[in-house]
Amino acid sequence: MRVKLTYSHEVADKPILADIILKTGLLINILEAKVNAQKGELVVAIPASGKKLEETLAVFKEAGVQVQKFTTVLQIDNKRCTSCGACISPCPTKALKFDSDWAIQFDEEKCVACKTCVAACPVKAITVP
Amino acid sequence: MSEAKESEAIRSIEEINEKIKRGDAVVLTAEEMIKLVESSGVEVAAKEVDVVTSGTFGAMCSSGVFLNFGHTDPPIKMIRCWLNDVPVYKGLAAVDGYLGVTAISETKGIEYGGGHVIEDLVSGKEVELRAESYGTDCYPRRHIETVITIDDLNQAALLNPRNCYQRYDAATNSTDRVLYTYMGTLLPNYGNVTFSGAGQLNPLCKDWNYQTIGIGTRIFLGGGIGYIIGEGTQHNPKGGFGTLMVQGDLKQMNSEYLRGASFYMYGATLYVGVGIPIPIINRNVAATAALKDEDILVNIRDYGVPTRPDLRPVIKQVSYAELRSGKVAIRDKDVPSSSLSSYKMAREISEVLKKWVLEGKFFVTKPVEPLPRQREFKPLKIKRKELKVGDVMSREVITAKPDDGVKEVARKLIEKGIDHLPVVDDKTRLIGIVTSWDLARAIANEKRKLAEIMTRKVITALENESIDVAVRRMAQHNISGVPVVDKTNHVIGVMTTDDISKKLIGGRTAV
Repeated sequence: MRVKLTYSHEVADKPILADIILKTGLLINILEAKVNAQKGELVVAIPASGKKLEETLAVFKEAGVQVQKFTTVLQIDNKRCTSCGACISPCPTKALKFDSDWAIQFDEEKCVACKTCVAACPVKAITVP
Repeated sequence: MSEAKESEAIRSIEEINEKIKRGDAVVLTAEEMIKLVESSGVEVAAKEVDVVTSGTFGAMCSSGVFLNFGHTDPPIKMIRCWLNDVPVYKGLAAVDGYLGVTAISETKGIEYGGGHVIEDLVSGKEVELRAESYGTDCYPRRHIETVITIDDLNQAALLNPRNCYQRYDAATNSTDRVLYTYMGTLLPNYGNVTFSGAGQLNPLCKDWNYQTIGIGTRIFLGGGIGYIIGEGTQHNPKGGFGTLMVQGDLKQMNSEYLRGASFYMYGATLYVGVGIPIPIINRNVAATAALKDEDILVNIRDYGVPTRPDLRPVIKQVSYAELRSGKVAIRDKDVPSSSLSSYKMAREISEVLKKWVLEGKFFVTKPVEPLPRQREFKPLKIKRKELKVGDVMSREVITAKPDDGVKEVARKLIEKGIDHLPVVDDKTRLIGIVTSWDLARAIANEKRKLAEIMTRKVITALENESIDVAVRRMAQHNISGVPVVDKTNHVIGVMTTDDISKKLIGGRTAV
């Protein structure tokens, strides 16, 4: 799950993310980071779902971090997609593969929204909102 | 089995067409034929099956459309012409043109090309037409700006000089940076393998020896009906890399099977769907129609070496089955592999074509002429003298040692008026480089020795290398000079952007 974490300046100097990684043992991946005098914004991929995800998000909230879930990670326009496969092998997390009928199958859990597939798609069928 | 028995006629094209007309022809897709041969053998399959349908759907850059716009009043002899800002070739009669799929928009660049215009036309969309002329007595008009749809055109003939490659070598990348190529995104350090081709569904693989496919063969083209009009360009039958030149009426085609595409940082193209029915005239054709992905081999080549396509180093030979499995072993490591052409669409085309034949809407053809089985695919030789790195570089190289002091080296650069200083070891082998900018920063930060500040991963060039290749490397690393080294890593020169601009003034042939 891709999540945007917003740190106010009061909590900006605390190693909250490192602390949560150690406590939960989750391999949280930082995708984007913007920090300025007012606030810090991180986009992270949390490899969890369901209860485990909600618990992890609750820990962030308790620590004073605003949490916003990205509900759609990546959209494939099935009318445009020809199932050529050009997006598959460049994907660093193997989130894209063929199903048994040679159509593209997308695994949202694995996606870290790096947008490699967006560039690799020859017919511009993939967008990341 | 003897060769004579293999090629002994089982049925004629005429007999097959009679059966298609009566509605009792046995038609299988290539996948179904493979299964039948696996279960019952070639002998039985050859006896039972009349037609095997094939299909392929991939990026085919050598494609385009001949257009006739019709005359305006007053008329124009179009000298230059654009459709949605994509230039149309106008070296033809007044209102005839050829739109190639790799031509790119003068406003949008490679994001939108001739292939996209063709898809838009086929989809019935309005396309902006602009044309210019110098004006003549018979064609006084000098300018056109209007919109057209495919219905406004008199003719729109898709004519593709090279389609349907029998096989295509796969690609990987040995370098340490991402390459964006016509084989898609190639990750560094053999990070992935990409490939193209329908393999066991490919029309030319299904008639490996071109016994039924030839000039005049009726085919499925872009969702409509087309014809083979000759061997394709770069047709290389000896290597099993045959190609086809095809033609068909764009007005009957369908955007499902003609897709404008753009390969990131490479260029525009068109995905084309082609399908060919293979009449099973003898056992040999039945056997090749049952070839499997396992039987069809290609090389994986290293696109990290910027040489002629056939000289790109071969990493290994693999079958389409291995490529399609999703991973290929390279240097004891499983590397993800994926296609650029759509197997799903290729399969769909073979099914559509099967349906057409079964419904009696599509008949098989006897070629007017066979495809050539002997043809050399020659490279282009450069017959004029071309400048190499060695012709442009400065040979008076000033070098430094890692223990040299920053200030004394800075003085040296000022005295000699240079910006790039290779750092060498005791045996004069290259171990680093410093630039005047590195030295300015080192002095500001009070560093003393070159070893503390030099760049150790040096981008170099070779004496006999093409200037274009070296310049591209410099641009990619955003540097203005490279040491030129020999095979043993000894510095024999330095080439800078200054050297290049000075030597190249007056044209490349001036030595």
